[in-house]
Amino acid sequence: MVLLAATGSTGAIAHHSFAAEFDIDKPVDFRGKVIKVELINPHSWIHLEVTAADGSKETWMIEGGSPNQLLRKGFTKNSLPIGTELQVVGYQARDGAKRAVGRTLKLANGQSLFFETTPIPEPSR
Amino acid sequence: MRRLALLATTLLSAAAACFAAAPLPYQAPRTSWGDPVIEGVYTNNTNVPFERPAKLGNKAVYTAAEYAKRRNARAVVETTTVVTDVHYETADFGLDPDQSAMVTNPRTSILTQPANGRMPPLRPDAKARSDAARARQQEHAFDSAQDRPLQERCLLWAHEGPPLRPVGYNTLVRIAQSPGFVVLMTEMVHDARVIPIAKSRPDFGGLPRWQGNSWGHWEGQTLVIETTGISGKVNPRGSAVPMGPDGKVIEKITPTGPKTVRYEFLVSDPTLWDVSWGGEFPMEITDDPLLEYACHEGNYGLPNTLRGVREEEKARGRTR
Repeated sequence: MVLLAATGSTGAIAHHSFAAEFDIDKPVDFRGKVIKVELINPHSWIHLEVTAADGSKETWMIEGGSPNQLLRKGFTKNSLPIGTELQVVGYQARDGAKRAVGRTLKLANGQSLFFETTPIPEPSR
Repeated sequence: MRRLALLATTLLSAAAACFAAAPLPYQAPRTSWGDPVIEGVYTNNTNVPFERPAKLGNKAVYTAAEYAKRRNARAVVETTTVVTDVHYETADFGLDPDQSAMVTNPRTSILTQPANGRMPPLRPDAKARSDAARARQQEHAFDSAQDRPLQERCLLWAHEGPPLRPVGYNTLVRIAQSPGFVVLMTEMVHDARVIPIAKSRPDFGGLPRWQGNSWGHWEGQTLVIETTGISGKVNPRGSAVPMGPDGKVIEKITPTGPKTVRYEFLVSDPTLWDVSWGGEFPMEITDDPLLEYACHEGNYGLPNTLRGVREEEKARGRTR
């Protein structure tokens, strides 16, 4: 068996049409506090309370990957405590809902939430 | 007499050399009912692409030196739809093939037949049907949930087969054995094929299934699985139309060591291809647990996708 270290991202697997769900022309980049974590398949969802520019609170749902591999590596439902601050870079839902795909998820100290990966370039439009 | 002794010595030395050079094939233990043991939770994670890069021609296997360089090569993730823009970073979730242990495999492609390791073209008439079907599908791709691919609906992923193929993440396959049956269960998306072991093809009542009707028999230590009757709702690789009534998938699972099996497959359908195509890859027992992949219940992406398309249609002033 050959065990390899993380080398960075590959072309992503799309088992549903992300391009139809999220809008590349609606990038998001914000911080929020975790209020709920759904470690479910086919995609995990992290719910954040985000303070908008006017000071109001908004709830955002951030879509991520299947949690099975996280679980195999020891990440449990208790590993992301409620209240954790996250930085989300991603793209908002096409229908304008407060939903986004979390292209990258980082902790407040800049560390990747789950795995450190090689920085990837922004997609070309 | 001296010549006879010399000849006998020469023959004995040659025989000894042959036995020394050719290790005996692995002899798997037997279940209590006498079948070779192949059960276990396996991974087939690999960085070997399904199709061979064209520049490699008919080169089926890397040399030891070449393979040593490739061991750290970026894995080629096989997918029917590659999204390079709006998507979460798979590596952030540990989902890149490179981030999990891979089964040693010095092959240049999963496909070994045809000899160039690439999918054969569809027959011209099949290609015409497939192109027309694809155009119709794209026209109505987002009309409703039933128009979305089976994998988007958490029903069946292409890699579950038959034939099986490595998928890039959540690659675990459980093989379970009981008297008269073998079950192949893939973690993603929790589909289990129950395969009766029989002397001849059982009567499946003419009912096609998404994963076809499979039956198996043993040839020595190799489990040979034959599948026909794959539903018209499932299209094979490279085709937007399903297999015909003569479409068939043959799979072979052979134990090659206490923790490894060789998985081989061959796909044929004279209505689609003039030649069969097939390949092989090793699978290795893993200590990782095969985890639940409940999918439909949390599949928010499907309605979200349709909502997004409806919004886009509104914005463009279009209605269905």
